[in-house]
Amino acid sequence: MVRLSVDVGGTFTDAVMVDDSTGELYALKIGSTPRNPELGFVDAVKEVISGRVDPERIESLVHVGTIGSNLLLGQLGIDLPACALVTTKGFRDVIEIGRQNRPELYNISFSRPRTLVPPSLRFEMDERIGSDGGVLVKVSETRLRELAERLRNSGAETVAICFLNSYVNGSNERAAETLLGRVLHRPVYASSEVNPEQREYERASTTVVNAVLAPAVSGYLRSAGEKMRRIGISAELYVLGSSGGLLDIAEVGRRPILAVESGPAAGVVAASEVARSLRLAKVISFDMGGTTAKAGAILNFEPAVVPEIEVGGRVNRGRLVKGSGYPVRTQSIDLAEVSAGGGTMVSVGEAGEMAVGPMSAGADPGPACYGKGGEAPTITDANLILGRIGTTLLGGRLRLNAEEAARAFERLRKRSGGMGAEELAAASLRIVNFQMAKAIEIVTLERGLDARDFALVAFGGAGPMHAVEVAESIGITKVIVPPLPGLFSALGMLMTDMRYDRVRGMVGLLEEVGEGEIDDRFEGMEREIAESLHERGIEGRPSFRRTIDLRYYGQGYELEIVVTRPFQRAAVTKAFEGRHVEVYGFAHEGERIEVTALRLATTVPATTKKVRLGEVEGEMPVAPEGRRRAKFGERWFETRVYSRELLPVNGRAIRGPAIVEEYDSTVVVPPGWGCVKNHLRCLVIERV
Amino acid sequence: MRMQTDLATIEVAKHGLIYVSEEMGVSLRKSAFSPNIRERADHSCAILDPEGRTVGQAEQIPVHIGSFPVGLRNTLAYLRREGVQPAEGEMYVVNDPYIAGTHLNDIVLIRPVFLKGELLGYVANKAHHVDVGGMVPASISPRATELYQEGLVIPPLRMMAQGRIDPGLLGLLQANSRVPDLTRGDLRAQVAANLLGERRLLGMAAPIGLQNFKAICDEILDQTHRVALGEYAKLPEGRWHAVDYLELDDELLPVRVSVALSSRGVEVDFAGTQRQVQSPINAVLGVTRAAVTFAIKTLLPPQLPLNDGFDRTISVTAPEGTVVNPLKPAPVAAGNLETSQRIVDVIYKALSVALPSKIPAASHGSMNNLMLGGVDPKLARSWAFYETIGGGQGARPGSDGVSGVQVNMTNTLNTPIEVMEHYYPLIFTAYHLREGTGGSGTWRGGDGIERAFKARAPISVNVLGERSRVRPWGLRGGLPGKPSEYLVRRSNGKLERLRAKDSTTIQPGDELIIRTAGGGGIGREAKRRRITPAESSSLKPRMGFYPALA
Repeated sequence: MVRLSVDVGGTFTDAVMVDDSTGELYALKIGSTPRNPELGFVDAVKEVISGRVDPERIESLVHVGTIGSNLLLGQLGIDLPACALVTTKGFRDVIEIGRQNRPELYNISFSRPRTLVPPSLRFEMDERIGSDGGVLVKVSETRLRELAERLRNSGAETVAICFLNSYVNGSNERAAETLLGRVLHRPVYASSEVNPEQREYERASTTVVNAVLAPAVSGYLRSAGEKMRRIGISAELYVLGSSGGLLDIAEVGRRPILAVESGPAAGVVAASEVARSLRLAKVISFDMGGTTAKAGAILNFEPAVVPEIEVGGRVNRGRLVKGSGYPVRTQSIDLAEVSAGGGTMVSVGEAGEMAVGPMSAGADPGPACYGKGGEAPTITDANLILGRIGTTLLGGRLRLNAEEAARAFERLRKRSGGMGAEELAAASLRIVNFQMAKAIEIVTLERGLDARDFALVAFGGAGPMHAVEVAESIGITKVIVPPLPGLFSALGMLMTDMRYDRVRGMVGLLEEVGEGEIDDRFEGMEREIAESLHERGIEGRPSFRRTIDLRYYGQGYELEIVVTRPFQRAAVTKAFEGRHVEVYGFAHEGERIEVTALRLATTVPATTKKVRLGEVEGEMPVAPEGRRRAKFGERWFETRVYSRELLPVNGRAIRGPAIVEEYDSTVVVPPGWGCVKNHLRCLVIERV
Repeated sequence: MRMQTDLATIEVAKHGLIYVSEEMGVSLRKSAFSPNIRERADHSCAILDPEGRTVGQAEQIPVHIGSFPVGLRNTLAYLRREGVQPAEGEMYVVNDPYIAGTHLNDIVLIRPVFLKGELLGYVANKAHHVDVGGMVPASISPRATELYQEGLVIPPLRMMAQGRIDPGLLGLLQANSRVPDLTRGDLRAQVAANLLGERRLLGMAAPIGLQNFKAICDEILDQTHRVALGEYAKLPEGRWHAVDYLELDDELLPVRVSVALSSRGVEVDFAGTQRQVQSPINAVLGVTRAAVTFAIKTLLPPQLPLNDGFDRTISVTAPEGTVVNPLKPAPVAAGNLETSQRIVDVIYKALSVALPSKIPAASHGSMNNLMLGGVDPKLARSWAFYETIGGGQGARPGSDGVSGVQVNMTNTLNTPIEVMEHYYPLIFTAYHLREGTGGSGTWRGGDGIERAFKARAPISVNVLGERSRVRPWGLRGGLPGKPSEYLVRRSNGKLERLRAKDSTTIQPGDELIIRTAGGGGIGREAKRRRITPAESSSLKPRMGFYPALA
């Protein structure tokens, strides 16, 4: 049996394939085709299987990528469908006003993200549900028929419905959805189905994003599946969801919001497998690629998850700027992000102020050392000048030009008051490492934790190059570099299960809702999902995790608490108060607690055998071992260069300064640190 | 002596100091009790050098930039005059707006930081407390006629000595609040934030030593100063004048300004501005300075850091006894709500001739403060609610204004309708844009908002708004935006018009309707380009563009 996983990134497309019969693993990194990601996906699959395995032996195929968010950002060569929105009368513009804040405080010329529903496609209905769920005005069938006619003539290709308070009572929305769907023969999505939670703007936005993405994403997946069959692969295609589990394509086609941030989630899921295998309770995943670095917290082997993200949003000092993207309420892995990657550009301003980022040279022209016409110096150029990376990467697929790199830095000499290329390169690395260290500290501080207690799991093409120095500036003393760090996200997908998340809004005082009622609702949700999995032919015994969103009465934020079956109010109250102390440092004991939503996470074991960390050989021969000059601090060292595949398992520690090279990445071990390849073939780098 | 510091050290230290204040903010938000700090992030944090110059401040809320550094310098000067020498393990507290800079609800905590016995600098934070006593819950009353009605006045006092909080002082502060538990919780969070800031600051300075640290701070400030001056050099030199108005009862109060630009920076003079009034709209000098700093900051590149190197390029002169620099004990609680907005407008207006490619037309220019209260019939307990409502942004040279958005000195979120209906006895009837209220022009003003609800139980209403008579101005032939309207439709159908600052009670079935102003336009309408379909999503729709009601 053969399993295959492809990670379609912005700069590179990675493919990893495992053949169970031989235990062999094949990996491949090729340039992405950003305007048409399907092309890169198909090419990667073709190239990795060609001459190695019979396509028919492939039993599972996983797709990871940011199709959803890239579609919304207009980065793909696909037009978004015209989307109509139907709202309660008087509230058509909630989708445009949003939370009425602006994303940039000091920028007069700011703009909101392009509206997904133009005013000409906003329709209002005479209907009203009260905050207690009572029907104040029932939606009229005659009016709905009139609306259907107008929708038909409007050119709308997809329709979202969001009525006020539908999260408590969705009957008016359902009536509208049924009739419009029947008459229009176009996809219609009701907010009470897609995201039945309180807060009208976020619910409307989630429903609209879902309605906009659904036709395009399902079309993409259909066509990708078609092409797979054409090359002889008949295996099911799975997509990684934003919360870190695999989803079948029928699910993603109907609820594309579940996979909108699939790409970045993959690495964290993979890192949590490292945490589990090495029994590390506190881990930070550190993923640095071509344009950005991302950090996520993994506590007790579970990635930290947030209930809402903004797709296409802007990031400031590691965190998302509220109002800069489209809010989507779907469980997503929480990541802090900084514009720091191999392609990040270095500049010096007129007053001699030095800056790294946020601009990136991307894949084209790329860093100056790629020799493709890039003139601005980048972080990759700095690493090359300082001997951190060699001139040959990806097993010879990529050759770097050190002279171009030095020339690019020399251009900054005058403004920097006469600093040479070497000095500027060292300064660039200090600044970029500092930025990443701070993003990591913020992620842990927000959870009331101390970053120094964590181990750093470093991956992405550039992660292992910077990880130890980043760790050093934080005070972290342990860094793990897993096998195939540059392809680690794709590899991680062969280690995970399927996961389906569902939510139901339910607002009421905890003391007033019946324990039995909550159990009944959860059971209803479980039945529903089990039936739908069965219908789609997904086998395997599902296991359920029930959680409940609670807040103190009047509070504007909720905490998610795991609940037992049967539901026990007293235990839940205690758990909520304990969690409140943990997160916020205090609890209002005796204050009334309010339920806002029930959540169900369903896990179905992957039908195929999962890859385990220790089984991955994944070490391909690269350049021969030797020595090269590399600079650490103020000194140049004749630095020993090792080939990762040749390192013995549990052998004697390599003392820094040292460099470990492999197919898809370069691991830098600075002076004062030691490196061992452990039994799971992870490099464990610790202070000596 | 100028130290030979390399560029990376400066860059890392510059951002390091901002990050320290950023992290103090995270800590404060995380452990504060009141939603105002937790969710609206109504707070600021800063790092000062031993001379009281701000070396690092996170971009938090606009009314604290500019005002916070001045307030901290005033406080340190006051303590010096009182013979208080900063010592290790101490912390000081202050909220007197005439010293600390905003209003009584903003309590400031300052901690001196020592390295090996020598003063390294200060860490400080300011947070909006929900209640500090005074004549009404939440302390801010539109009817206050003197400062003492707005809450407890705290001059700079030592609240911590040798690492221990003074229990007597804490007790006094708690005893003067309607919500003593929140007051204590929020003060504790402020203390914790300063202690974190101290640890982080020492973590930066200890490895390099006091002298090097100071030299780096000097270079950071000089560098920012050089960058700022380089930017001013790109602007025209000269002096420009303008006047705009605040609305109070039946009067219009002039805010008059002259703004001088030169390669040395900006000089702003408020000579000729309205004398102070017996209303809380007086803005203390700190707020005035904050509004000026905000307006100038928006004209410079966004990466310019907020520190003394930038601050020292701005000079503000405001005659004593005016609404922009009142004398104690004039009430000031609302100065940072409405007057600060008008100051930004009038500065833009003055510079609109000098910088036609940068300056927008007037935005809706108000926070449209709405204060509601009553007794919940279902829970039999009293409730109070406060919110601000956005409106139309003024047209920008080259693009239409944004509709339904917070502008200038505020950027707080709205409260979701479903949350309000769930907690309070009211039901919404409208929340949408006021189509066509933005002034027309080559570039149009953004539209205002209509937000309306019906009462389901008696509700007391206080409105603190603006721009109901003086419309947001347009530029170069662009028309002004439509004015704001504050209305009550009684259950018998009778329509009552409220003034911009007014109080009333609404009964079950009565409807409160708030219509916020549109922004001004720029240029003549005749020169407006035809909208191509590709551009239509970035431009505002024409009248009648919405489909009719189904």
